Amino acid sequence: MKRRVARRLGIAPRRVVYALLGIGVLGVAGFMISQALNTALVYFILPNEYAQEPAQYENRRIRLGGLVAPESVAFNDQDLQLTFLVTDGIQSYRVEHVGAPPELFRENAGVVIEGSFDADVFVSDKLLIKHSEVYEAPEDGHIDIEELRRSLQ
Amino acid sequence: MMDASVRLRRPAWLRAWGVALVPLFLTAAYLGLVWSPQDVNQGNLIRIMYAHVSVAWIGFVAVGLTALFGALYLWRGKRRDDVLAVASGEMALLFSALTIIGGMTYSRPTLNTFWTWDAKLTLTALMVALLVGYFIVRALIDDPVRRGRVSAVVAIIVAASLPFNYLAAEWFRTLHPSRAIALDGSGVTMAPEMLFTLLFNTVVAGLVYAWFMVDRARLGRIEAQLEAERAERELASVPSGGVVRV
Repeated sequence: MKRRVARRLGIAPRRVVYALLGIGVLGVAGFMISQALNTALVYFILPNEYAQEPAQYENRRIRLGGLVAPESVAFNDQDLQLTFLVTDGIQSYRVEHVGAPPELFRENAGVVIEGSFDADVFVSDKLLIKHSEVYEAPEDGHIDIEELRRSLQ
Repeated sequence: MMDASVRLRRPAWLRAWGVALVPLFLTAAYLGLVWSPQDVNQGNLIRIMYAHVSVAWIGFVAVGLTALFGALYLWRGKRRDDVLAVASGEMALLFSALTIIGGMTYSRPTLNTFWTWDAKLTLTALMVALLVGYFIVRALIDDPVRRGRVSAVVAIIVAASLPFNYLAAEWFRTLHPSRAIALDGSGVTMAPEMLFTLLFNTVVAGLVYAWFMVDRARLGRIEAQLEAERAERELASVPSGGVVRV
């Protein structure tokens, strides 16, 4: 049977077996990679996911991802204390971060912060930006730095 | 003796192609660095994206073609396919390494970090490591047939990670931004001038890849012929009656 299929295709039967085995192995490997990445590589959790099971993350360093809530940003340039609310639209938490805000940090920007919860305040020592995949030119062709600065006051 | 069918000189059309790449590259750089508007959020930093994304895409194509030629070699056993696989593989390694360097350059001022182990970056690092492995494997095996077969399997494994890498930001939570261009045509979230600049840069990166790949394959064919002739000479030098193990 195998031989007949192979003869009709004009190739050696062993190669057909190897090819099928190879495809099978690749399929299994792919499935395993996707499973591993899905469970182990959830890069950050959302505020509402934390709110559901805070005990699970107690005394653990975690990454929290969300948007910077509008009108919640305060930055003290003397001691570099940056505070803001991170939100996923369902739940929001107050974030305390020491360090200057990154260039793309602003209201409604996506952020990922690393640190741990102290009661209901997230104390962060690493602030990363997760920007969207939307790229567009500013309307008047240049960027108003002053406006950006004001949005951070 | 060199076979007359193998020409040592780079053919005229290949030289012309190489020369044409210079103005094309300069135009692509001009579009990215000067002509393209700034981004409403990123400002001038968007200009790094044109180099990073175009090189990354062509790196993916290079990995895919390496695996394709490797698979063809497994199937038909023609030395020509192995030569093409190596030529593409070297460019795949170069373009993947450049993707990481460009990505780090772009990431530090925008995402506020050079590197982080999210799904997309991890898969890309794995890809570079496996491509290095591809050449280690090749260097360790002397028999050309076995060398071609084993390395082809490595190339196919690397290529199997491509869909996961390409769609990582959609399938997993990553720091790396999602794609702005959906290949099914469902949506492009990029200003038209930016899209044009990116596509132009990608085409030029593709032509650069193809040129080096074709030229490296040309050298590879000469190498293969020399290797075959050396093997023949060694066979001929064995005294008659001796047992030759190959």
